[in-house]
Amino acid sequence: MALLQISEPGESSAPHQHKLAVGIDLGTTNSLVATLRSGEAVCLPDEQGRKLLPSVVHFGDDARLVGSEALALQAEDPLNTVASIKRLMGRASEDLTRLGNVLPYDIVTPQDSNVPRIRTRSGDFSAVEISAEILKVLARRASLSLGGQLDGVVITVPAYFDDAQRQATRDAATLAGLNLFRLLNEPTAAAVAYGLDQNNDGTVAVYDLGGGTFDISILHLNQGVFEVLATGGDSSLGGDDMDHAIGEWIIATAGFVDVDAGLARRILISARQAKEALTLAESVDLLVEDEQHKWAGTISREIFDELIKDLVSQTLTACRRALRDAGIKTAEIDEVIMVGGSTRVPLVQSMVGELFARTPMCDLDPDQVVALGAAIQADVLAGNKPDSDMLLLDVLPLSLGIETMGGLSEKIISRNTAIPVARAQEFTTFKDGQTAMSIHVVQGEREVVSDCRSLARFELRGFPPMTAGAARIRVTYQVDADGLMSVTAEETTSGVTAEIVVKPSYGLTDGEIEAMLRASMEHAREDIELRMLKEQQVEASRVIEAIDAALAADGAALLSAEEQARIAKHRDALAIASESTSVDELKRLIRAVEDASEFYVARRMNHSVRQALTGKQIDEVDV
Amino acid sequence: MQSPDLSQNYFELFGLKPVFAIDPVQLKMAQQRLQASYHPDRHVNESDRDRRLSVQVTSWINQAFDTLRDPVKRSRYLLEISGAEIPDDSTTTADVEFLMEQIELREAVDACREAADGLDQCHQIESRLAQRACELAHEFVDCFSAGDLPGSVIMSRKMQFIQRIQQQLDELQFELEGR
Repeated sequence: MALLQISEPGESSAPHQHKLAVGIDLGTTNSLVATLRSGEAVCLPDEQGRKLLPSVVHFGDDARLVGSEALALQAEDPLNTVASIKRLMGRASEDLTRLGNVLPYDIVTPQDSNVPRIRTRSGDFSAVEISAEILKVLARRASLSLGGQLDGVVITVPAYFDDAQRQATRDAATLAGLNLFRLLNEPTAAAVAYGLDQNNDGTVAVYDLGGGTFDISILHLNQGVFEVLATGGDSSLGGDDMDHAIGEWIIATAGFVDVDAGLARRILISARQAKEALTLAESVDLLVEDEQHKWAGTISREIFDELIKDLVSQTLTACRRALRDAGIKTAEIDEVIMVGGSTRVPLVQSMVGELFARTPMCDLDPDQVVALGAAIQADVLAGNKPDSDMLLLDVLPLSLGIETMGGLSEKIISRNTAIPVARAQEFTTFKDGQTAMSIHVVQGEREVVSDCRSLARFELRGFPPMTAGAARIRVTYQVDADGLMSVTAEETTSGVTAEIVVKPSYGLTDGEIEAMLRASMEHAREDIELRMLKEQQVEASRVIEAIDAALAADGAALLSAEEQARIAKHRDALAIASESTSVDELKRLIRAVEDASEFYVARRMNHSVRQALTGKQIDEVDV
Repeated sequence: MQSPDLSQNYFELFGLKPVFAIDPVQLKMAQQRLQASYHPDRHVNESDRDRRLSVQVTSWINQAFDTLRDPVKRSRYLLEISGAEIPDDSTTTADVEFLMEQIELREAVDACREAADGLDQCHQIESRLAQRACELAHEFVDCFSAGDLPGSVIMSRKMQFIQRIQQQLDELQFELEGR
C-alpha cells in the first residue's frame, strides 16, 4: 500500500503519510459518511449517488439489507425491519416509543443481560449489533471510495447522550471493526463545519433537532478553538415524535382499533410524508389502508403546529437552561445554527428565531453538516494537518453522582464541566476486615437516584483487611475526551489498587461484546462460505450444460456407448448434488466430471482440427 | 508526551502570581495554550500510556482552571496553599449581623416566587448580590494581603454564602421565565 501512495501536490512526501480518515454521522433516521477531499469536506455517495443512508436494517432469510432497500420493506415486513435503532442505544425496552400501544418490534431481554434484543427471523440482535451493521456499510462505502482500509473514524453522538449511550456507540464501532479516534458531539461537529472557513470569533448557539434526539450547545469560537460553554437537550425527542403525534392523531381521527405492527408502520410512514410535505404545503391529503382498515383525510399546517407545539416548547426550555448554564444572554449570541432534518419544520424555525431574536442560519444542508464537521476533525486527528490550530473543548452533558444512604444522588461532577475531568473521593470501611465495597454511579440532575439514569455498579475488591474506619479508599472518577467514564480505586495507606468489576446497568459487558465479535466474525466466515458455495453451484451447472451440449452435438459420433455411459454417470452424480451445501463435495464432483471427460474433450479437439483441415492443401496450414 | 510539572500549584501552572485579583483573560489564554499541547486530541496516535497521561494531565489542567476561574474556589485555594485552617461547610458563623443579612436575603428571594413582578425583583436582588460579592472580595484581599488568615477564611465563607444565594436566584429566574 505504502508504495502506491502518491503525495498530493504541494504536500511534502515525507515523513508523514496521508491517513484515510472519515467522519460518520450515525443518525436516528439517516446516516452519512464524509471525508476531506483537496481540503474540502464532502459526503461520500453510494454507487447510485445517494449520500443519505437510511438507518434501517432488514433481516431477510439469507441476507441483511441496510438503507433504502431495507426501508422499502418496512411496511411489508415490519418485525424484521429495524428503524430508529439509535433510540435503543444504551437503553432498556421501556424507553421505546409505542404507537397506539404497539411496540414496533418483538423485544426480548435475556435473563443474564440487561440489554434488550430485537427478535428477527435471523436471530435476536441488540441495538449495538444493528448499529454496527449500519457502520459497516458506511465504512465499506468509504473504503471503496478512498481506495483503502480506513485508518480511523470519528463518530458523532448527540451532545446529550449519557455514558451508557456513548459506550453503546463505541461498542458498535468495535463490533464493526473500526478504529475509533473520537466520539464527537453533534452540535460541536456542526459548529466546526460552519466555523472553519469563516474563521470568525464569537458566541454561537447550535440547535440540533434530529430524528430522535435534541441538542442545544452554546459555543465560544476563538482562533480555531471551539469551546463548548454549556450543552443541554433531550436524547429521546425528535422528528420521530412529530411522526408519532401525527400518527396518534390519525388513529384518533380515523377511529382505528386493533392497530397491529404492520398498520402502525403504515400510519407512521404516512405521518412522516405528511410532516415533510407540510414544510412547504399548507395542507396535505392522507390515505391509510390495509386489509381491514381504510381512512382518507386531510391534515393542515395549523393542526400539525398544534400537535407539535409542546414538543417545540420543550426544546426552547432546554435552550434557556443551556444559556443560563453558560452565563450568556440571548443578546450575546452572534449566530444561531440549525442542524438536523427536523429544523426544516416551519414552526421550529419561527419559535427558535423568536427565542434568540434572530434568523437562524441554515446555509449548510442540515442533514449533512454534522458528518462534514466530523470529517474535518477526523482529518486533524489522523495527523493529516500537523499545522492545524483546531481544538475542540467539550463538556459533560449530565451530572455524575453516586448513590448515598436513602437512595439520594450525591453529585461528584456537575453538568457542563469541561472534559476530560477527574474527581476523587475518599471512603472508609465500616466493618472490621472489610475488603470490598460497591459504588452505584448514576447520571442526571435529580436528587433521587431512581429519577436519574443508573450507569453502573462498581464492585471494588481486594483491599487489605483493616479495622473498621482505618482504611482510606480513594475512588477516582475519570471522564475522558469522549465523555466516557471510568473508575479506579486505591487504598491509600497500603497503596493497594482495588480490583474493579463493572456491572453496567444498560450496557453490554465485555464478555457480551466479545461473544458478539466472535459471532460477527463467524457470520463473515459464513458469508464467505455462502459465496463460495454459490460460485461452485454456478460452476456445476456450467459444466453440466457444456457436457450436455457436447454430447448432443457429437457424442454418438465420437464416443462408444460404454464411454457415453461413463461420462453420463459422473454428469448425473453432479446434477443430483448441485443443490448440495458442501463446497468440497461440489468441487470433487466437478473435478470427477472433468477427469472423466478429458479424453472426450481431446478427441473433440482433434476432430475439429481434422474437420478444419479437410479439403485444404497442406501448404495452406501453418505448422 | 512530556508531562508538565505536576507539583506546581495552580497559579504556577498558568504563570500567574498567587493573588486573588488575577487577570481572567490571561488565565483563559494560558488555559487554552496548555490545552493545545496536552489535550487528548493532540495525542491520538501515540502509545496507550501517553494517551492515558494526556487524559490525566488535561483533567488536572481543567480542575485548576475551574478552581481559579471561580472567585469563591479561588479564595479557598489561596488559603489552602497558604496553610490556613479551613473549617468544613457545617461550621456556622457567629457573626450576628451577617446572619441577619442571610435571613433577609433568603426571604427576599422567596418573596419573588409569588410576586407579580417577580422577575423585576429578582433583577434588583441580583445587583445587590453583585455589589455584596464585590465588597466581600475587597475585604478578602485586604485581610489576605495583611496576613490575616483567620479573617480571610471568614470573608471566603461569606463570599460562598452570597454565591449560593445567587445560584438559588438563578434557578428561580429560570422557573419564572418559563411561566
